[in-house]
Amino acid sequence: MTKLPAHPASFRDNSGFVFAENGTLYRQVNNNYKSHYELLLQSGLYEKLIEEKVLVAHEEVSTPIADADMHYKTLRPELVPFISYPYEWSFDQLKDAALLTLSINKTAIEHGMILKDATAYNVSFKKGRPIFIDTLSFETYNPELPWIAYRQFCQHFLYPLFLEHYCKIPAIQLLSVHLEGITAAFAAPLMPWKAKWNLGVRLHLLLQQSVSANGKGRTIQFSKQKMLQLLSHLESVVRSLKAGYPEQTTWNNYYEETILGKDYLHAKAAIMKNWLSSFSGKTIVDFGANDGYFSQLAASYCEEVIAADFDASCINRAYLQHHPNIYPIVLDLTNPSPAIGFNNEERSKLSDRVKPQLSFALALVHHLAIAKNIPLASIAGFFHSFEGDLIIEWVPKSDEKVKQLLSNREDIFDLYTQDQFELQFANYYTIEKSALVPGTDRILYSLKRK
Amino acid sequence: MNLNPILLYVDPGSGSYLVQVIIAAVLGALFYFKNLWLQIKVFFFRPKKNEPPVKNDAPND
Repeated sequence: MTKLPAHPASFRDNSGFVFAENGTLYRQVNNNYKSHYELLLQSGLYEKLIEEKVLVAHEEVSTPIADADMHYKTLRPELVPFISYPYEWSFDQLKDAALLTLSINKTAIEHGMILKDATAYNVSFKKGRPIFIDTLSFETYNPELPWIAYRQFCQHFLYPLFLEHYCKIPAIQLLSVHLEGITAAFAAPLMPWKAKWNLGVRLHLLLQQSVSANGKGRTIQFSKQKMLQLLSHLESVVRSLKAGYPEQTTWNNYYEETILGKDYLHAKAAIMKNWLSSFSGKTIVDFGANDGYFSQLAASYCEEVIAADFDASCINRAYLQHHPNIYPIVLDLTNPSPAIGFNNEERSKLSDRVKPQLSFALALVHHLAIAKNIPLASIAGFFHSFEGDLIIEWVPKSDEKVKQLLSNREDIFDLYTQDQFELQFANYYTIEKSALVPGTDRILYSLKRK
Repeated sequence: MNLNPILLYVDPGSGSYLVQVIIAAVLGALFYFKNLWLQIKVFFFRPKKNEPPVKNDAPND
């Protein structure tokens, strides 16, 4: 029988693997995981986690069978509309994912099971909340042993959160180069002296760094009570951590303080609503979403909106609204999430994970063209690399914001003109509609992909 | 960055087992003393807290 290949990210765990057939995602459960899988169902753990809406539901199907030699069951998991990666999350997204992992682990222990891994990639977001997506992460609990995934939990969740909280640095985005998480050896020297007096930091970070192989060969004695104390302590440590975002970042008060004022926003929203009323697609990507003002507007016209902005503080605010149709991600458009991991296939690039029918680039083009020196032709090509049509806002040199951008630098942007803008985008799109935003020199374009 | 060469060869699970045993011992001790402190507080302060209702209800007062 022909074997169906496993998903490139699904090779670490020999309990099973994820594979696709005809565009549908399945999970094969291997024979060696049979007893654990049966316990998951029989103990009531699966039912409990589904009832709490914290684990992705699945149904057992008889076909397809990806690898008959190892096959025990095939599962068809409930679809998660968009998979984001931890390095695309803001502080509270990672914090909530950490708390979800700990809470699921405690529930599992009460049902005689435990998480055998605790990677942040086991969590994604659905309906504005984190959800656990790896059904095969549970194994039979042995109370005499400590938590096998403890260090992984620290590296994927706790240390990035510590660094954000105590050092006020965007450590979560570092996860894109530390795929196995931030190690104790990396995080400990960065901790400020006052953090070293914190019990959570001392126990879960500094101690881990100082205890090495000395424990090898010793008899380890643990108990369920100790395990629950450990998990509760981790929970209280994570709960106490706060985002270290500065009060005022580049964009976090953009809408409140914009010199263009609320009239501008309302006028733009009116045009957008008019244009969106005929939209019939499923997915919209809002590039440069800020805290999601226009993402919320878009959410009424489609099933899901990916709200992307490079300012983690804005994305954090967008996330904290827990809008069921909005998927906020931290994304630098000048360096979007690449394909990384083993063979550059484990974590796919953004344009492979989202296939929108429409994208927004509102009040964005001048930042890319003038602040980042990206030619208009390249900007047009970038948006075209995502599927679907485009609504884009042209911001001319006469605009206050562009004047600000040019105030401290030489104007080398002779080609930054409306004619050039239309010419370059015409290579990829047809102009369907355009409208001047009242009270400004800005023009909204509705572009149809060629 | 200094990476401890010994750590690189330690099995990821067993390396963190000892840490967890130590943490559990510290947390256990803290929990014990917290409980002890609560018992002491209850021993000294509970009668005072209950005093007013006891006084009011006492027929001899």
